[in-house]
Amino acid sequence: MLPSPFQFERPSTIADAVRAVGESGDGMFYAGGTELLLALKMRVIRADRLIDIKGIPGLDCIAVNGMNEIEIGARCTHRKISGDPVIREHVPALASLCAEVANIRVRNVGTIGGNLCFGEPHADPPTMLAALNARLVLVGSRGTREVHADDFIRSEMETVREPDELLRVIVFPRPAGPVTYRRFKHGERPSVNVAMTWSLNADGNTIRSARVRVGALGLRPQPLPVVEGALRNVAVAEARQAIETALPAALDQLEVNADRHGGADYKRHLAGVLLLRSADEAVTAGGSWLK
Amino acid sequence: MSVTDSMSAVRPDLIEKVTGRAEYVTDLVIPGMLHGFVVRSPATHARISSIDASVARSVPGVVDVLIGADVVSFGCWGVVLKDRPIMAIDRVRYVGEPVAVVIAETIEIAEVAAELVDIAYDELPHATTIREAMMADAPLIHEHHENLEDFYFKGGARPTPSSNIFHTYRNDVGDVDAAEAVAAYVHEDHFTFPAISHFAMEPHAVIADFQGDSLTVWAGAQTPTAVQKVLSRLFGLALAKVRVIVPFVGGGFGGKASVKIEPLVAAASWKVRRPVRVAQSMAESMLTCRRLGADITIRTAVDANGRILAKSARLLLDGGAYSDTGSAVATKSANRIMGPYVVPNMRLEACAVYTNTIPGAAFRSIGGPQAVWAKESHMDNVAAAIGMDPTEFRMLNLASRGERIRPDLRALDMDMSELIGRVTRSFAPDAQPSNRKAHGLALAATDPANTPISNAIVRLKIDGSILVSVSSIEVGQGAHATMAQIAAQTLKQKVSAVTVLRSDTAVAPYDWGTGASRSTVVVGLSVESAALDAADQILDMVAEVWELPRDGLSLVEGGVSTGPDVLTFHQIFHRSLGVDSGEVVGRGAITPRSKKGSLAESPLFWETSAALAEIVVDEETGEIRVPRYASAADVGRVINRVAAEGQDEGAAVMGLGHALHEALEFEDGQPVNATPIDYSIPRITDVPPSFDTILVENGDGPGPGGAKGMGEGAILPVAPAIANALFAAYGIRITDLPMTPEKVWRALQKRN
Repeated sequence: MLPSPFQFERPSTIADAVRAVGESGDGMFYAGGTELLLALKMRVIRADRLIDIKGIPGLDCIAVNGMNEIEIGARCTHRKISGDPVIREHVPALASLCAEVANIRVRNVGTIGGNLCFGEPHADPPTMLAALNARLVLVGSRGTREVHADDFIRSEMETVREPDELLRVIVFPRPAGPVTYRRFKHGERPSVNVAMTWSLNADGNTIRSARVRVGALGLRPQPLPVVEGALRNVAVAEARQAIETALPAALDQLEVNADRHGGADYKRHLAGVLLLRSADEAVTAGGSWLK
Repeated sequence: MSVTDSMSAVRPDLIEKVTGRAEYVTDLVIPGMLHGFVVRSPATHARISSIDASVARSVPGVVDVLIGADVVSFGCWGVVLKDRPIMAIDRVRYVGEPVAVVIAETIEIAEVAAELVDIAYDELPHATTIREAMMADAPLIHEHHENLEDFYFKGGARPTPSSNIFHTYRNDVGDVDAAEAVAAYVHEDHFTFPAISHFAMEPHAVIADFQGDSLTVWAGAQTPTAVQKVLSRLFGLALAKVRVIVPFVGGGFGGKASVKIEPLVAAASWKVRRPVRVAQSMAESMLTCRRLGADITIRTAVDANGRILAKSARLLLDGGAYSDTGSAVATKSANRIMGPYVVPNMRLEACAVYTNTIPGAAFRSIGGPQAVWAKESHMDNVAAAIGMDPTEFRMLNLASRGERIRPDLRALDMDMSELIGRVTRSFAPDAQPSNRKAHGLALAATDPANTPISNAIVRLKIDGSILVSVSSIEVGQGAHATMAQIAAQTLKQKVSAVTVLRSDTAVAPYDWGTGASRSTVVVGLSVESAALDAADQILDMVAEVWELPRDGLSLVEGGVSTGPDVLTFHQIFHRSLGVDSGEVVGRGAITPRSKKGSLAESPLFWETSAALAEIVVDEETGEIRVPRYASAADVGRVINRVAAEGQDEGAAVMGLGHALHEALEFEDGQPVNATPIDYSIPRITDVPPSFDTILVENGDGPGPGGAKGMGEGAILPVAPAIANALFAAYGIRITDLPMTPEKVWRALQKRN
C-alpha cells in the first residue's frame, strides 16, 4: 500500500505551480492529500509528479470582499473554515459542515478545494457551495476563469477543471437569509445531503428566492427547481407547507442511483426528510434573521 | 502518585503504548532483513495457467519472487483439516489468496515489482454463498480432506466426501418429534448473519528468519505454540528449532489465532535465506480472514404454560475457501444456541461449508454471536406468539445454578436470574419504555474452549524482583498485568516487583494459546501454581538453614517472616548459598488432571452475559440509536478491574458494530467493501452515552481467587437485545444483520 514512485515539487507561486503541473508526464496538484494519497496508494490514480501547493502564500485566506462576497482560499482546511470568525458569523451552517466532514484527521489536513476537485459524489461541501451559488476561480496556463459550483462537477470523480488549472479561491455572495445543511450518513460518507439558502425580502418575513441542492444521489449535486419555485415570495411561516406540497413532484425529478448507500426509493425518501427538517430549521432561523 | 505511576500500577504497558515506545512487529528491524509484498488473486476461483515473474525479478533491488512451484514439496497445512498450501500452487480459491511474494531490499521496490508479475488465470465455476456451495452440482472447492485429529482442538472435523461440507456436528437429546407432537405451540424462525471483519488496528505482520535447520518468527500471533507446531511440521524442523516471538499485539479478536501468514513469510525467508518481513495493510488483512457468516433455522416447541419442550436448530456456516478452525466454530455455534434454558429435548446440527470467499476464522466467541443472534431473537418471537412477556418467558425456562443444559456439559456455575435482575435494576425506574424509547433483553451462556493445558515459570530473585514467563500474549486485554497481579498476590510482593516477559517460545513454556477467555483462568492457575512452587522453595530454604518449623514461616513484602523477625530475600539467599546471588525457579503446570481432575470437564466455566438495551428509532430514516445499555457478566472474581471492564465494554461495542454497522460484503466472490474506508465500524459517538458494566463476583470460578474467564461474553447479546427492542416497539423483526437504517425503514414501511 505505497504509491508508485513520483517526483515532488514545491513551488512558491501560482504561476510556477501551473507551469510545473503542465510539464511532460502526469503532474497533479497536491495539498491535504487525504483523497489523493489514498488513491495513489491504492494505485487507482497514478502521478509522475506531485506539485505541492502548500508553499504558495495566500491560498488559505478567508475574507469578505468589497462586493459583499465571501472568499475562501482553496487550500483552507476544513478545520480552518469551521473555526473561522467570518464563516461562523455569516455562514454558520458551512462552519458546522466543515466541523463534521469525514473524521478529525481529514479535517485537520484536508482542504475544501481538494474536496471539490476530487469530484466524489458522496461529499459534503459541493452540495452546500452549489446552494450558496458559489463561483470557483481557476487559474491556468491560458489565464483565469470562473465556473459556477453547479457546473464544476461533471460526473463521478470528474470536474471541468483542466489538469493544469489550479483552483485558487471559492467566492459566494454573503447570504441574505437562513442557510441550512443536513445530511444522512451511516458510514464514512454522506448517503444523501440537502443544502438550502433563502434570500429574504427587506421585511424579513417573506422569501425572495431560494436555492435548494440535493447531493450524493446522482453524479453531482442537483437543484430542486420545483421547490425553489414554490418558495418564491412565500412567507417564512408558510415555507414548510409550500415545500411539503411541492415535495412529491420535486423528488420525482431527482436522478437517484442505487448504490452501497441504499436503494433509490430510500434515498429519494431521505432527501425529502432532510428537506423538511431543513425547512423547520430555516423557519426558526428566518424568524430571527433581521433581529 | 503521579498519573504515570497510577497508570503503570493498573497496566504496566499503558505508558509504553501512549508514548509510542511499545514495540509491535512492524517496529522491529532484523539485520539483513528483506521486504516481501504479496501478489494476490483477483479471481474468485480459477486455475493458474501461467506465472511469469522474470520481469519482476529483473527489477534492481528485487532479490527473488516466491511462487507456488517453489513450495509444492512442502505440501499442505492446517490445524484441523490439512487443506491449505503455503500459497496458491495451480489454483486460486478466493479473491485475495496469495499467488506470489516479491522479495526486495525495500518495501517500495517490492510493491512496484509486484505489478510486474504476470499471472494468467482460467476461471473455474465458483460457489460463493452457503446456498451455492450446497447445491448438488456445486463445484468442489476441495477434493480431499486430510483430517488432523486432536492437532489443535480435541477431535477433528467430520467432512462429507464429495461435497463442500467440511464438518458436520450433531447432538440429539431426548425425542424432539415426540415432544413436538404433544406441544401446545411450535414456532420456527430463520435468521442470517454476515461475514464480519476482525478489523484489528494492527494488521498481520510477520518477520521470518530461516537459518539452516532453525527458524525464528516474529509474529503478532495469538497462539504462538500452534504457529511453532505448524511451521515445524511444514518445514521438517524440530520444535525446539522453531522460535516464535510475539511482541505487543495490536488486537487479534481471533484473527491472529491458529496460524495465518506465518507459513508464507517463512517460505519467503527459506527461499532467499535471509530474514523477510511482510507487513500487511489493513485492506490486505481484511482479505486474510473474517468471521463465518451463518444461515440458521431454529424451532421451539412449548407446552400450554409456556414451558419449552423441545428445541431444534440447524446452523450452516460459511467457512470460506480454507477450513482453518471453521469446524470448531460450527460445533460451538450449536452449543451456543441452547442456553441458559432448560430444554429436555434437543436436535442440534451445525455444518461448516467451503465457499470461494476469504477464509473463515476464529472471532471473539466462535460461533457465539451467530447462534445468540438467532436464539435470543427467536425467544422473543416465541413469547409473542404465545402471548407471554419475553422476560417472563425466559425466567420460566431458565436453567438454575447446578443444572445441566445438556448432559455432556458441565452444570451451570452461575445464576442467570441474578444477572437479569442486575441489568433490569440498572435501568432506573424513570427509564420505563415510552413511545419513543423501547427496551430489549437478551441472554447468553456459552462454553469457552479453554483447553486446560498451560505452563508457567515464576522466578524470584535475590532482590525480591520477580520474572514471569508465560506464552500468553499481550494483545491489549491486559493479560500480562493480570499475570503480574496473580504472581504478586501469591508471593505477597508488590505488583511493581513483577516483570512479565514478552512472549517467546524459546523462553516461555508451552501453553495452548490466547483465546477462548482462557488466560486468566488456565494460565493464571499455572502462574499461581508456579508462584506457590517458588514460595515453597524459599520457605523450605529458610526452614532448613535457620532450622525453624516450616508452618511458622510466611512470605511478607521483601522476605520471609519467621514470626518475631523478617528475613530479607538477600539474607536468605546469601546465607543459604554462601554467596550474595541466586534465585528460585518456580514451575507451574496445569493439565486436565490438575486439581483432582476438576478442570477436565467442559466447559471449565460458563461465560455469561445479560444485556438490556434501550433504543430510539428515527422513524423517518430508520436509524437506531442506543442511548442506554446495561451489560452484566458473572466473572467469579475481578483481578484487574480496569482490564476487566475494558474487556466487557470493548466486547459490547464490537457487538454494537455487528448489530448496526458491519458486514463484509461480496458480489460473486469479489469483496466490495474490504477496505477501512468502505467498511464501517462504530465510532466513540455511537457508544451508548449511558453504559453500565456490571461484573458479578461470587468468587466461585475455577481460576485464581475464584475468577472465571471473560472478554467474549458481552459481544453476544447486543444485536438480539436491540432487535428485541425494535420488535417490542414496532412489531418488526429484522432477521439479518446488520440492522441498517435502510433495513429498519423498509420494515417500518412494510408494516404501515
